[in-house]
Amino acid sequence: MSFHVLLKLICFQWLIVLILGSSVISAAEIRVLNWQGYGTDEAWALEMFKERTGIEVVHDYFNSEQEMLTKLRTNPGVYDVVLINSAYTRQAAEEGLIEAIETTGMANVSDLSSSMRNDPKLVDDGKIYGVAWVWGVTSFAVDTGDFQQTPYSIEALWDPKNAGRVGWRDDAVEAVQLAAVALGQDINNPSDLKAIRQKLRELKPQIRTFWSSEDEWNQFFSANEFDLATYWSGSASRSKNTFGLPVEFVLPQEGAIGWLDGLSIPTNAPNRNEAKAFINFMIDPDFYVKWDTEVGAPTSANAKAVSMLPADAFNRTAFSDSQKVAKVQFMGPMEDALREEILELWQETKAYFQN
Amino acid sequence: MNFLKWIGRTYLICIVVFLYVPILVMVALSFNESQLYRLPIEWSIRWYEALANNSKLHSATVNSLTVAFLSTCLSTMMGTAVALAFYRYDFRAKRLLQILIFPPITIPWLIIGTAMLVFFFWVGIGRGLHAMVLGHVALSLPYVVIVVSARLKSFDSALEDAARSLGASYWQTTLWVTVPWLMPGIIAAALFAFAVSLDQFVISYFLAAPGVTTLPVEIYTAIRKGLTPEINAISTLVILLSMLLLLGVSRFYRFGGRD
Amino acid sequence: MNQRAAVLSLISPAYLWLTLTILLPLSAMLYYSFLSDVPIGSREVSWTLENYGTFFEKAFYSELMLRSFKLGAEVTTFCLLLGFPCALALAKSIGGRTKEALFLLIILPFWSNALVRIFSWTMVLRGNGILEYYINWLLPGTGPLGLMFTYPAILLGLVHSYLPYMILTCYISIDAIDNQLLEAARSLGAGKLTIFFRLIVPLALPGIVAGSVLIFIPVIGSFMEPRLLGGRNGTFIGTIIEDQFTAVFNWPLGAALSFIMMGLVLLVLLGFSPLVRRFK
Repeated sequence: MSFHVLLKLICFQWLIVLILGSSVISAAEIRVLNWQGYGTDEAWALEMFKERTGIEVVHDYFNSEQEMLTKLRTNPGVYDVVLINSAYTRQAAEEGLIEAIETTGMANVSDLSSSMRNDPKLVDDGKIYGVAWVWGVTSFAVDTGDFQQTPYSIEALWDPKNAGRVGWRDDAVEAVQLAAVALGQDINNPSDLKAIRQKLRELKPQIRTFWSSEDEWNQFFSANEFDLATYWSGSASRSKNTFGLPVEFVLPQEGAIGWLDGLSIPTNAPNRNEAKAFINFMIDPDFYVKWDTEVGAPTSANAKAVSMLPADAFNRTAFSDSQKVAKVQFMGPMEDALREEILELWQETKAYFQN
Repeated sequence: MNFLKWIGRTYLICIVVFLYVPILVMVALSFNESQLYRLPIEWSIRWYEALANNSKLHSATVNSLTVAFLSTCLSTMMGTAVALAFYRYDFRAKRLLQILIFPPITIPWLIIGTAMLVFFFWVGIGRGLHAMVLGHVALSLPYVVIVVSARLKSFDSALEDAARSLGASYWQTTLWVTVPWLMPGIIAAALFAFAVSLDQFVISYFLAAPGVTTLPVEIYTAIRKGLTPEINAISTLVILLSMLLLLGVSRFYRFGGRD
Repeated sequence: MNQRAAVLSLISPAYLWLTLTILLPLSAMLYYSFLSDVPIGSREVSWTLENYGTFFEKAFYSELMLRSFKLGAEVTTFCLLLGFPCALALAKSIGGRTKEALFLLIILPFWSNALVRIFSWTMVLRGNGILEYYINWLLPGTGPLGLMFTYPAILLGLVHSYLPYMILTCYISIDAIDNQLLEAARSLGAGKLTIFFRLIVPLALPGIVAGSVLIFIPVIGSFMEPRLLGGRNGTFIGTIIEDQFTAVFNWPLGAALSFIMMGLVLLVLLGFSPLVRRFK
């Protein structure tokens, strides 16, 4: 064997690498980008969808909105469907990451509640950049075993009685917005960041730990690491339904953060029509009712689907107190400069939390 | 002195026990019924059954092994060549080159991973298994050079001279005299390279193409987004496999050097 | 065959590879650290020193940097204190198959996934976790231990992860010490402590240094262990840098912080190098 043989070996290995690296995509397969375990990747749903349309679905996940945007930026023409929090839909459209959706042929779109279908965060100049999918609120949830009386105020998170019992999501925007809710400020354009900074610092003795995912939340909750923690309404019902945890979600008197998630199609998606079929399926009552009753879901933007839920379902009853619901502030787009300020504020707060 | 030896052995055993605490916990919890890892342990093989049907983890495992195998072969070949060059020759810039081999170990992976993502994206290499092999080879190269160089320290170059004087060419000597003598070092280096690649998640995380992941990336995502004891089950299988591999190699190569 | 060609053919594949995968990407990062934004898509970017300026403007960045260096030093020290005696015992008090078996046992954890190991520690330490559960079973009424999400928990996880590196590097250099040399010292009347400090430690110094470097540097940049084990107490410069890349998408600032960190690491290593040289 000579050195040339070695070289050839290296070249040969390269060839293998290249062949393995370029994966072949069949026509009836779409790529969906979403949070893990957030509806679109339920195995039974994908089976149901495949039975109806013959389309296979492959998933890729992100751990933060910024990561989702990064993935869209660095992988043009790869994804067919992406879940975008409507607060970011405008930004994604302006950057050219997603395209306008022609909704003709999507039968279920007409059943969406009109306020959500035409929400200005999703629709620009008559062009639909995101199809409203589900919405919910962010506030906090408590362990019913530890709280005989469910707190009614968001101040419970700051209550010295709860020192060392609070779980908090490690997310700058959410943290600042919760403090804004507590202080009665506009969550999308806080008037007094100094007061928010101070309010967040006051959390130090209360916070036991940060959480970053629903699964982590369930584990910490079940291990009694925290007794009350910030949480999302849809996830709270999942914790209750799927894991049988004694969780109660609180809609505080001060209000809460509302969010609306839409499904969008990235620019130059390779399978546009299949993507539309999938989005249509995702807002179908058949899918939603099963998702909410068997797994647990946020509230559907499809009014017809919600009305088909059992009468005592969380998603039909929770938002019946119109006074409280009126106080929910929906997340809207945010200026880059403000976002950066918020991020730095949160990191500084985390540094302050260190003992 | 016997007393000291006795203390030393007890201490060694304590350290080994400490090293194995999490591994034993990992194995025990893979047989636990509760998805939320609740105690006491209710014994069950449900997660191994689930694993048998989890095609995503299967393909991630195959990807991991493929990447690890390819990058081990490549880095072992290139690293051995570099170690030989450093051993045999003195040349200008040798010190500099010796230092330059270390950045992959000494710069936090997070930084290298992002840097690779940015650069590969720029020049069109993109993401995927091929990009991961590129990255993993660079990371394991320094380990290979260090381990093979250590073995070379006790090499008697008279052996090469003898081969040359008997008419063997330069490459013949290298391939048929030096490399076989180095084999134990090369095998150890390859094992290290394999371990580095198999465990690497930061760089793989950045370089994974959508839908094409490796085991550590799956585990990292799972830890952040929904871990089930299936992860424990597959990790248990992986460490069993490694154990068999190490035991197999140890039959041909004495680990731990001379007595 | 001439030397030049031989050297070139032996080293060029590896160094070309390193250029493509390490040197050029790092240069791209360095370039980014001087930009105002990430040059992807239609974003407007300009040259700036602002990213480096931020580090000096906001005190909390340097506080966290200091915290990370302290963590690195503590983990390295613990690994040395635990690992060196272990390597010594392994190299000089055991022989034959037992030695080989123990050696295999010590390096085997390398082949298990680091993330899973850290995750297992969370299972041990957390509330209602294994430690708490069995301690309360043995001694009822002990109550919660509160070990999880503390600085010591991070320390424990990191020391556990990196200990094998120290044992391995120390073992290699101690094993190379000739037993006859130790015998000679003993017959000349040297005490055990003298042999240890005047002979074994200086001769094992290359291993100690290699192990310390291999531990110190990755610990400073670590983010996964502090996040999983530290909870509220797990904010370090590594987690801040990771945030910049994954959660915030401020790559220029992330890159600038990384290069400041690398620069400081290099300074620390340079500061220690005279000490090392004197021993040699």
